[in-house]
Amino acid sequence: MDEPLLEVRDLFTQFQRVDDVVYAVNGMNFSVAPGEVLGIVGESGSGKSVSVLSFLGLLRDNVKLKSGTAKFRGTDLLRLGRRQLEDIRGRDIGVVFQDPMTSLNPVRRVGDQIMEGMITHHYASKKVALQRTIDLLGEVGIPEPQMRYRNYPFEFSGGMRQRVMIAMAIACEPQLLIADEPTTALDVTVQMQILALLQTLREKRNMSIIMITHDFGVATNFCDRIIVMYAGMVMESAPLAEFLNNSVHPYTIGLKSSIIEVGNKNKELVPIPGMAPVLTKPLNHCPYVSRCSVAQDRCEQELPELLHVGNEHYVACHRIEEVGIHAK
Amino acid sequence: MALTIGEVSTQKVLRRLQSNMAWRRFRRNKLAVVGLGWVIVFVIIGIIGPYIAPHNYATTNFLAANQPPSWNYPFGTDNVGHDMYSEVIWSVQNALEIAFGATLVSFIIGMALGLWAGLRGGVADMVIMRLVDFMYSFPTYFLDLILVTKLGRSMGPILLAIGITGWAGYARLVRSLVLSMRHGDMVEAARSLGASPAHIARRYLLPNAMNNMVVALAFGIPGDLTVMAGLSVVGMGLRPPLPSFGNMIAQAGSNILGYPWLMYIPAGIFAITLLSFLFVADGLQDALNPKGGY
Amino acid sequence: MGLVQFLIKRVIAILITIIIVLAVAFTLMHVAPGSFFSSANISAQMGALALQSPILYQKYLKMFEARYGLNQPLMEQIVQYVWHSLTFNFGTSFENPSVPIITQLKTAFPISASLAVGSTILSIIIGIPLGVMAALKRNTWIDSLLTTVSVMGQAIPSFVSAVILVLVFGVWFPGLLPVNGWGTPENAVLPIIALSLGNIGVVTRYMRGSLIEGMRQEYIRTAQAKGVRYWSIVWKHGIRNSLTALVTVIGPTFAFTVVNTVWVENIFSIPGLGTLMASAFPSDDIPLAVTSVFILSLMVMGMNLLVDLTYGLMDPRIQLK
Repeated sequence: MDEPLLEVRDLFTQFQRVDDVVYAVNGMNFSVAPGEVLGIVGESGSGKSVSVLSFLGLLRDNVKLKSGTAKFRGTDLLRLGRRQLEDIRGRDIGVVFQDPMTSLNPVRRVGDQIMEGMITHHYASKKVALQRTIDLLGEVGIPEPQMRYRNYPFEFSGGMRQRVMIAMAIACEPQLLIADEPTTALDVTVQMQILALLQTLREKRNMSIIMITHDFGVATNFCDRIIVMYAGMVMESAPLAEFLNNSVHPYTIGLKSSIIEVGNKNKELVPIPGMAPVLTKPLNHCPYVSRCSVAQDRCEQELPELLHVGNEHYVACHRIEEVGIHAK
Repeated sequence: MALTIGEVSTQKVLRRLQSNMAWRRFRRNKLAVVGLGWVIVFVIIGIIGPYIAPHNYATTNFLAANQPPSWNYPFGTDNVGHDMYSEVIWSVQNALEIAFGATLVSFIIGMALGLWAGLRGGVADMVIMRLVDFMYSFPTYFLDLILVTKLGRSMGPILLAIGITGWAGYARLVRSLVLSMRHGDMVEAARSLGASPAHIARRYLLPNAMNNMVVALAFGIPGDLTVMAGLSVVGMGLRPPLPSFGNMIAQAGSNILGYPWLMYIPAGIFAITLLSFLFVADGLQDALNPKGGY
Repeated sequence: MGLVQFLIKRVIAILITIIIVLAVAFTLMHVAPGSFFSSANISAQMGALALQSPILYQKYLKMFEARYGLNQPLMEQIVQYVWHSLTFNFGTSFENPSVPIITQLKTAFPISASLAVGSTILSIIIGIPLGVMAALKRNTWIDSLLTTVSVMGQAIPSFVSAVILVLVFGVWFPGLLPVNGWGTPENAVLPIIALSLGNIGVVTRYMRGSLIEGMRQEYIRTAQAKGVRYWSIVWKHGIRNSLTALVTVIGPTFAFTVVNTVWVENIFSIPGLGTLMASAFPSDDIPLAVTSVFILSLMVMGMNLLVDLTYGLMDPRIQLK
């Protein structure tokens, strides 16, 4: 396998609230190979967005990155100053956010907003950037781009705005695109179009993508490799085929059983009891223990480690043997 | 039955917790607490003023005119020998009566019109909102001047004039509260859970609306104090010898060169009072309505 | 964009408002007891005349009433008055019949207008940077200081700050700056300061709130994700958006400023509309009083129109209507 483009190790992130501290990310490990599409799946509040946005310096002031490394092409992003990080953001790493309604400045023309990144990074002169903006808008599927670049965000539909966001994120040809729930705020049919667009762009540019989503369908249709997160920890990580056939973590299995599959009328929906925890203390045991059907005493006492179980498949569970055998 | 009792007491506890929270947030704002202290002193002086003032406001003593502050006349005397200390004390009462009274009148009118507009909708709503826009489109202070010219320059007329021109803001607020009550997300949610309208109103809407209105009233009082004094500046305030801060400040402007104490004592007290009311209003805003306002 | 239509619509709305204001003002001033003839000065003279020669008194009364149109039915008087006012034909005042009101306005209006507009501009120029500073340094001592001072500026009425300035520059440091009169540029300094303290507070607080709110928006994060430099984000996505919103508070603030101008002129003895008003109201000089109210209200409405226009041009989402 190639040298990873991005390698995140032992990432810890915390929020300062008025009276307490929330432990949002608790020792996250993952890597992204060049051209790979990594899916990070989890419930809301599982820390999936926070983990990625934190090493890009895109979180609010009350969020503190505590420790860890995030090596991007060998450079640890966590050791960079604000200015150096700004040089990488938008140039080498592009980001698409969830809600295209609020993620665009409502009183500036979309063309100006797309050009802004290119000009900031001296990627192109103003004249070239303008031409490139028009090309990009065409590339992401906006009709009549030479007219539309002068429009304001409110003159576009939600799906069109998300296309504008994507054009903005890929303007400087980044090697890595981070898509933070890019389809969640959109209609189902539009979701499909956006995913197809991302797929095309990725193939054309051989760029890596981190797709953050709570939607299993999106992840399994789009990604080469899937990470399941819970309470700020990686529970399971596997290549797509392995994940589809051999996922073993009780949480992953629980998630899979609680999802509606189109065309499978006989499938019984089994919701996971309880709720995802908000951690106000450091973790010292398996976070899933209170909702787990196979939990043991050990699960309440020790933090499980992420172990390699073969085929690039990693699992963090004390009951791995029993569950794994059961699953196979 | 037991369940109902339990529920009621839980609600009571919740209510108490909320008011505790509000008080805690209020106390965190030091300026608001200091302001509240001054406001309380001010109100007490307003109530007991006539009993503690050494002289009547109309008593003149030409032998003791234009005296600087002294033991006998702590705030000095003016050109006809009014004891400024007594004038200030009487002014506090007049100021409070007019400011509280006018704010109340405005509020009652505003609430009536706002409720009417919000509940009836349709033509009533349109007409009332046009009227509100009209009141907003020029300074109502000018209307006060005209009304005072006609109604007279004593306590009642000035109170009334300021009161009946200051209702537009309250009407707009009450109307928007009514509308948010009728269509807000929280109401829809509570209704869909099967809560009765009365329960929704009691549990969610009234507390929220009350908070908003208390804040609006708190901001209204210093505003009306300012307008009242502002009438005096163009010679249309309380007719002397009725004492008021506005009169003292306006008159002091003309003889400030010789007798500056006639100016800085009343002006200072008046400024501190306005500030205190505003700090209290600000504190109430933070305490009761932490998300709203700017 | 329908700019012309928008303008026509708004001007008509202003006309309607102004007609109502004039009619109400005129009626109120006329109908209720106590009129020009009861004002102290005139009634003494006329009263003496009434005793000496009742016939001559009646004759004079008729003459006065005819001159000011007071002998016609009220409705006709109102219509006539409104029409005359709208055509800037204000006649003469009661107290000073030899000088037409329009002549008095010609000197008074520019003074009041320059004070009000000047202080508004000054407040914007000073308030914006202060507000930005408070927002970017929020929850530090700079922020608390600026916020507290802004509240103080807003709370203390201009006539109080004006007398304090008179005290400072008239009594404590006499001769530095003139504390009364009009004519030289120095005369404008203290009045504009007194007028601006409150407005600076308004602009600072509004700017602070709106920039803090603006910097919390998600499009700020988008700009950060593009790698845009911090100051560039603050300027292009923060301040510029807040400025658009700031325009909307200029309207109501200006109405308030005009009232404050009236007060400040009286404290500093400046011969503007406010001083005219202060001579007209206490002496029941109806034409002059209502005319000054009319002119000042017109100024406020004109500014509001300008503000709406500016806002419509600045924010692409607003369709002028």
